[in-house]
Amino acid sequence: MIALAWRNLWRQPRRSLTALGAVAVVVAFSTLYYGIGGAVGNSLYTQLTGSGGQVQVHAADYRNVRDFSGTLIPDADRVNGLITTHAGSGEVVGVLDVPALLIHGDRSRALALQGSDWPAGVRRAYLSTNPLTGTFVTPGDSDSIVLGTSLARALGVGIGDRVDVYAPGTEGFGAASYAVTGLVDVIDPAAQARTALVSLGAAQALAAPDAVSRFEVHFPDVKRVVDDGVSGSVAAELTPQLPKLQVETWRQLSPGLVKLLNAFGPMLAVITLIFYVLAGLLVVNTIYLGLIERVREFGVLISLGMSGRAMMALVTLESVLLCAAGAAVGAAIGTAGVAVLGRGFTIPGFQQYMASFGMDPMFYPSVTAAQVLQAVGFALATGVLAALWPASLAARLEPAEAMRFAA
Amino acid sequence: MSLYDIRGLEKTYRVGEVETHALRGVDLTVAPGEFTAIAGPSGSGKSTLLHLMGALDEPSAGEVILEGRRIDRLNRRSAARMRLDNLGFVFQAYNLIPVLTALENAAFVLELRGMGRRDREARAMAALDDLGMAEYADRRPNQLSGGQQQRVAVARALAAEPKIILADEPTANLDGDTGHALIELMRHLNREHGATFVFSTHDPRLLDSVDRIVRLEDGRVAGEEARAAS
Repeated sequence: MIALAWRNLWRQPRRSLTALGAVAVVVAFSTLYYGIGGAVGNSLYTQLTGSGGQVQVHAADYRNVRDFSGTLIPDADRVNGLITTHAGSGEVVGVLDVPALLIHGDRSRALALQGSDWPAGVRRAYLSTNPLTGTFVTPGDSDSIVLGTSLARALGVGIGDRVDVYAPGTEGFGAASYAVTGLVDVIDPAAQARTALVSLGAAQALAAPDAVSRFEVHFPDVKRVVDDGVSGSVAAELTPQLPKLQVETWRQLSPGLVKLLNAFGPMLAVITLIFYVLAGLLVVNTIYLGLIERVREFGVLISLGMSGRAMMALVTLESVLLCAAGAAVGAAIGTAGVAVLGRGFTIPGFQQYMASFGMDPMFYPSVTAAQVLQAVGFALATGVLAALWPASLAARLEPAEAMRFAA
Repeated sequence: MSLYDIRGLEKTYRVGEVETHALRGVDLTVAPGEFTAIAGPSGSGKSTLLHLMGALDEPSAGEVILEGRRIDRLNRRSAARMRLDNLGFVFQAYNLIPVLTALENAAFVLELRGMGRRDREARAMAALDDLGMAEYADRRPNQLSGGQQQRVAVARALAAEPKIILADEPTANLDGDTGHALIELMRHLNREHGATFVFSTHDPRLLDSVDRIVRLEDGRVAGEEARAAS
């Protein structure tokens, strides 16, 4: 019966190829849409996690605390060791955020000075999207500072100049002077104007010895949302170990952006559904015209003893085979397209928009096997639905009348 | 016991207000193993009679009884099942499935019955061989002559080993010699396999080898004639 159904499709090859082509186009576009949706999602993910890690540990209720001391995690070394034990392959970074005033000459800016000793992998991931001129701060370096490019411009400093920093601390106000060793072109313009980085030791010496504002757990090799299976498990392991602290994943840290991320899937589904409906109408047309041309033959099949159910199965099988062939071609084209585009591409005119969200303007599409299978599954479902009406017509044919029919 | 018992069969077609009485009360019996011809001019009701015998249509009145079971008022599903299990058909226009080979066409009814591929192809090949068509098994209908296609159609009917084969004007689209050869072949199969054949024809030249002739005129049985076996 499968052979009969397949061969029936090729009685009118041009018509069948048109419908097959439509299904292939829809599946290919669906796959590309998923890929681009994945690219946007991955870009958002790397932006969110590149600078802050997949998991963060803060003082309890840190968002509502106004006092600087209340935002600190005391006994940082012990907590660091505990987190490192449960972080698996993640890199643990202690960060001290110090509200500070930066002064150079008659210019000043108030911002949160960030003190951190970034491991090489985390630093590399950060600098891959935020280009650096000069040298980055290194652990233990108490004299260097790296500024955002626009912040440096606002202060009127360049590499080699010195800036003075005043900050409230746990032991009274602190002051320090640092040499600008690097300028970082932070992709997010707003962040660029408030980026000032020193080593963790330098920040602790300025404002809060042995304390950090937060710990970040980074998995720099995890660059896609779909590959992030670690955030939830690490957070779940850490939470009972740190009852007086607040453990959050990247999703909990940026709920607004995560909502945007979660909206991609349904949005893509609605867009692709419209295309599937259009392709389905073409398939209905193909199957129905084939039915009209073969009414006499169907009458003969019924005369020979083919049941209505078998007749419906035959017509449905023709439709499903047509859509399956189209889906196979479309999936191949779509995944090949995603593979080619996966090397990275930009959308002209979109770079500024992406940068305003702090996102890399380069897209790196990716698609999962589940998404491709979903697109193929939709195509097969289209085949079944498209056949319902013609198949029911075929099943209800009266054999004697059908054999007298002239198309 | 009769294979077929037909009583008072009537069939009226209505198109708008126009009525056409195709059959006006036909009584007929068919015994197992018979080789019977339904003869009559065009429009006498031959095809209608065969359609009703095959449960392809419903009579306006009367009964069609096959082996003691009424088959004239079956629902669509039961009628299809009954045809699949009991009847074979040969049509005037051959009606082979154009995308299937001769072997696949001959095996088609067996496939509908759910027979496995190896078994059905073996039986279909045997039937094609009986019809002298074994060497054409892998050809499609458009690669066969009219006579060859009709022989494949007979093989399709025969392979299923039905209780009766109904053939509606099987030679109408064939030249005289080919048509005659086909009837002789059917007669041979009737004798060799004991298959019951009922076929319709308007050509009196094809009636030489039949057991019985039922003559239809204007929807009624005008007469029956027994012939000596030859």
